[in-house]
Amino acid sequence: MAAVLATGEDRFEGVRLLVESAAGIAPRDGDLKTVRHLRFGRPGIDRGRWSEISAMGWLGIRLPETAGGAGLGMAEYAALAGEVGAALLPEPFIEAQLALDFMGKDAPAEALSGDRLVLPAWLDAPDGLTLAGGIAEAAGGRISGRRRFVPMAAAADAFLVVSTEACWLIDAKAAGVSLEIESALDGGHTATLILDGVEAERLSAPDAKALEAAALATASALLGLMERAFAITLDYLKTRVQFGQPIGHFQALQHKAVDLEIEIGLTRAVLRDAVETFDTGDDCRRITSRAKARAADAAMLVTRQAVQFHGAIGYTDEADIGLFLRRAMVLAPRYGSAGFHRQRYASLTEGRP
Amino acid sequence: MTATVSLAAPQPHADLNPLPDADFRAAVRNWIAASYPQELRSPPKRLHAAEAMPWYRILSQQGWLAPGWPRQYGGMGLSPSKLLIMIEEMERYGCARLPDTGLTMVGPLLIAHGTDAQRAYHLPKILSGEIIWCQGYSEPDAGSDLAALRTSAVREGDQWVINGQKVWTTLGMDAQWIFVLARTDPRAAKQKGISFFLVPMDTPGVTVRSILNIDLHDEFAEVFFDDVRIPADAIVGEVNEGWTIAKNLLGFERLFLGSPKQSEGALDHLERLCHHLGKSGDYASLLNGLRMELEDHKSFYTTFADRVRRGETLGPDVSMLKINQSALYQKIADRIMDVAGELGTLAGQVPDAPTLYPGSVFLQARPTSIYGGSSEIQRNIVARQVLGLGR
Ligand SMILES: Cc1cc2nc3c(=O)[nH]c(=O)nc-3n(C[C@H](O)[C@H](O)[C@H](O)COP(=O)(O)OP(=O)(O)OC[C@H]3O[C@@H](n4cnc5c(N)ncnc54)[C@H](O)[C@@H]3O)c2cc1C
Repeated sequence: MAAVLATGEDRFEGVRLLVESAAGIAPRDGDLKTVRHLRFGRPGIDRGRWSEISAMGWLGIRLPETAGGAGLGMAEYAALAGEVGAALLPEPFIEAQLALDFMGKDAPAEALSGDRLVLPAWLDAPDGLTLAGGIAEAAGGRISGRRRFVPMAAAADAFLVVSTEACWLIDAKAAGVSLEIESALDGGHTATLILDGVEAERLSAPDAKALEAAALATASALLGLMERAFAITLDYLKTRVQFGQPIGHFQALQHKAVDLEIEIGLTRAVLRDAVETFDTGDDCRRITSRAKARAADAAMLVTRQAVQFHGAIGYTDEADIGLFLRRAMVLAPRYGSAGFHRQRYASLTEGRP
Repeated sequence: MTATVSLAAPQPHADLNPLPDADFRAAVRNWIAASYPQELRSPPKRLHAAEAMPWYRILSQQGWLAPGWPRQYGGMGLSPSKLLIMIEEMERYGCARLPDTGLTMVGPLLIAHGTDAQRAYHLPKILSGEIIWCQGYSEPDAGSDLAALRTSAVREGDQWVINGQKVWTTLGMDAQWIFVLARTDPRAAKQKGISFFLVPMDTPGVTVRSILNIDLHDEFAEVFFDDVRIPADAIVGEVNEGWTIAKNLLGFERLFLGSPKQSEGALDHLERLCHHLGKSGDYASLLNGLRMELEDHKSFYTTFADRVRRGETLGPDVSMLKINQSALYQKIADRIMDVAGELGTLAGQVPDAPTLYPGSVFLQARPTSIYGGSSEIQRNIVARQVLGLGR
């Protein structure tokens, strides 16, 4: 079952239809052959599927129509991210969206059409949701500096280098660009981007709220992922027989399964509230932190418990359940780990009544 | 006596029990630093037997391979407190895990239940590394319900003929011998018709197929038996008494799996990770709390290890040790992921700190609550057999 993260009847229906339309690209019950096929390869994504994603109008979903976007809100974006998460798609949907959100009205048409994949390079530490400085701009607009943990960087046609004071668009093949690529646990990769006097197009300063959207979308992807991992696991509990009965008959497992259902319900509820707060335009940082911390911890709990429920087969590469655990491990720290968000929540809460 | 042991270079096969613990620790530390093959330090994956062999042989020559075996059989006969010191020093140095099934299971089993001939043949070959063992218990439909196993052994003349399939056999690709539980009386009640066999893997009819684990490592395997003929004396104990033997062996297995080794290694990893991130101060309280839990677990371990040393057979209560060790290990591994941030997403080692591989530590901690009897099954055992609850 897909989580429809919207209240209000018209909106609810709109989001439901959007989720339904996503099934062609990101099916909740599809086989994971293509996901497996793309693992550990470079660029590690399917450009055909990327074109479909753009043809569906998913890119720039939150940008106003005047900027070439779909003019929708966080509820719609989060719902799609949930489907992409459940399908374990390797395509950097949230990252591309973040680049478009950072660029806003400057977003080039080729990026919105999916012809040019622009990925954001904004992080300079292993954890956090804070824009960094440290990009030097020389006369003539050439930039130097470093950004770390750029997901799926080998698939990028261009990078949006982001710092506290400005964004710069650079071509991935421009002189002075180098990538140090590391494989990630889910079969994707992450890169350090090193810039040495790279020709760049300077754009306006980034809107930090784009990062809040990315964190919420990631929380939603984690929700979709854990919902599907749990569904697969429930099936297994009903079919695997030991001691002459389905293992789901054992109360020890029943109780643990219920605890996971509670975690999933909590995540869905917090996320719905967070999405709503975001869409009202209020400061959503505290509830974003709650949603991301909960989703990260819950997804890790659900997927590792799912492996436990599967027994040894869950510890093999051939069982699909492991793909969910490994993706959860990659998404959990992205856009701030649970620990980071708990600290941020505390510091944003200080001094409040 | 103590004066003859050099702490800088302890003599091979010397009895180290008389040393004061602090001196013993110094001797172990010095020897490891001088002897351990540097290229094998803190490997991110469990080593295959061929990779681990250099270290296996170095320990063998020193007489330190089997710290828990009695000295008369070539072990060190170490007291539990010294055993713990050895574990601590090896984990802190980043010594690789050995292909240890022969050392932790077959040796103690044969010492307790084997014939003189079996002991005379096998113990030296385990201690020299000539024979690496693997364990053939689990089958596709007999995991937690091990007594449902269907692999059969039929007596034909002076031979046993084995047919069936085992699965999840750790290091099945590397081993020269496998110990197998097989059904010898299909009509008897589930646990009653099972026997325990020792089988060379190069016997015609044995086929091995490796399985990739979740960390993409071919650490375990499926083993198929197709009319595999072994001699009559390949049995351990009496015919149809295999379940009792296997249960006694589980005591050793659970003591070993309940040892603080893995938690020690993981906590060391976490400490180094915090240091690498420049956050040792931020996480001081977390690290301290886990350290105290680990020391408590060592106390728990010592109470069981002491009993084994006194010659007692461990009862079902040793399950508690295994439950607690896997829970602690997994808790530390969870904290490793919490602290690692994006470093925890990498498939390999951290590029500028190759002895750190937080994601792999986390994944490798997963199966400890599954193998050797899952934590759920261990809890069932304690509830029924220790607490007297239920059936
Ligand atoms: C890394 C690894 C290495 C291994 N190495 C070996 C080896 O060398 N040799 C060997 O013989 N085997 C080995 N095993 C197999 C191991 O012993 C089995 O995985 C274990 O016995 C569980 O069986 P199963 O995997 O079939 O899970 P299942 O028995 O199918 O269990 C699935 C889930 O149901 C739960 N469950 C089952 N019954 C009950 C119950 N009555 N009450 C509550 N919960 C229950 C389990 O706890 C588990 O969570 C290994 C396993 C792993 C993961």
